[in-house]
Amino acid sequence: MRAPRPVLAVAAIAIAYVALPVLGLLQRMPWSSMGDLLARESITRPLLLSLLVSGIAALVVVILGTPLAWTLARVEIPGRRIIRALVLLPMVLPPVVGGTALLFALGRRGLVGQWLDRWFGLTLPFTTAGAVVAAVFVALPFYVIAVEGALESGSDELEQMAGTLGAEPMRVLRRITLPRLLPAMGAGMALAWARALGEFGATITFAGNLPGRTQTLPLATFLALESDTEEALALSLVMLIVSLAVLIPMRDRWLPGRRPER
Amino acid sequence: MRGLLLAVLMASTLSCGGPGDDDLTVFAASSLTDVLPDLAEAFQEQTGTTITTVFGGSNHLAAQLNDGAAADVFLTADVRLLEQVTTVNRSVSFASNRLVVAVPEGNPAGVSSLADLSRPDLRVVVCDEAVPCGASTSEMGVTIEADSREISVRAVLSRLAMGEADVGVVYATDVTAEPGVEPAWNQLESCPCVTYTAGARTYWALPFLTFLASPPAQEILAGHGFSTRTPG
Repeated sequence: MRAPRPVLAVAAIAIAYVALPVLGLLQRMPWSSMGDLLARESITRPLLLSLLVSGIAALVVVILGTPLAWTLARVEIPGRRIIRALVLLPMVLPPVVGGTALLFALGRRGLVGQWLDRWFGLTLPFTTAGAVVAAVFVALPFYVIAVEGALESGSDELEQMAGTLGAEPMRVLRRITLPRLLPAMGAGMALAWARALGEFGATITFAGNLPGRTQTLPLATFLALESDTEEALALSLVMLIVSLAVLIPMRDRWLPGRRPER
Repeated sequence: MRGLLLAVLMASTLSCGGPGDDDLTVFAASSLTDVLPDLAEAFQEQTGTTITTVFGGSNHLAAQLNDGAAADVFLTADVRLLEQVTTVNRSVSFASNRLVVAVPEGNPAGVSSLADLSRPDLRVVVCDEAVPCGASTSEMGVTIEADSREISVRAVLSRLAMGEADVGVVYATDVTAEPGVEPAWNQLESCPCVTYTAGARTYWALPFLTFLASPPAQEILAGHGFSTRTPG
């Protein structure tokens, strides 16, 4: 199909819209001192912590989100629409509000948090685990929406058939549903991971800011902007590279409706 | 298209204010959050000029001003920042503040001295060194085993008020403003101290600077726990 000109023109504007800020960032980069900057502990520490936190968060999201998406798509549970809206809420909620809500729930004086503290001596704020909790909170809906969408658009004929042939529900899930769901799971995980990596508001509100423990890349970047612009730029470059390194291969392999490019 | 752009540009230039425009925009350090509305109200009663306030970390606000944010006055605890953004060569120091060691109401962790700031079993929250309150905190001459370094003094205050932190370092005026937080002990002579300076960025901001140093404004500041200018 030949592309209509106006469509191409608007698409070009859209590309520029995203590319321009990135270019703006790149042209300000202190390239000559980049080597020294990138070796600084104030950059390597938040990088490693961010990879750890977003990686664990992505795993937790898959573990929690897959059964949730399946339930929402396949089971007639009462109040499904309300539950779905609730699950998607963190996508719309300002992350700072999410972080405050987490504090009221899991903080030392929170709804559940006070009992965690009293019974197990467990407190989440100001810990790396707290940063993971915040990241999972904001990233979960991105995974659920991708996987649930795939479950609903795909037919469940094969599953029905396997059921009629006498396969146990768990076996149907494992042998038929899950393998066909893998691309959507991959795409959802990539989105959730990306959201977790960029997470700022909920993390700083719920988990606080301490280098090596809760100071992830976005937090380190924000603070560096207050004091050391070169370092902030180097941190932004690191985020840019890490994000693209994960998103480019995933985009080709996993995003819905796309064949791998040859 | 070009005409439209031009119109938008002109409108935004005009709305930046000019002589006879009865509105001032004031960028202020977050530790002035409670006192500035009172000052603005008194100023409006006196002169009829309304004040729009924007609060934030001093460095953050300074960066915004350097990037072209329109403000007539910048109130900050860091004079060096003021020099970077003041376009009109006029500034006035109008109040000072001091750091205190603060705890949640009732002092549940029994904090009693500066040394408690280095106790690893306590949850200690201070300002990050990138913001002015954090820079002052590091001048206290005590090792701090922080569990979190917050991006503004108000964030530290909120940690204390919510009971997430056992002890923190905030400004004396913050303790006055937040009923859920109290000084860990009587710290009347505590320091380091910070001085707030107002910088004018436009000529029509000058009356506000004069007002800040005037007795009515100084009275309001004192009422909020600030140390005010010595007369003369």
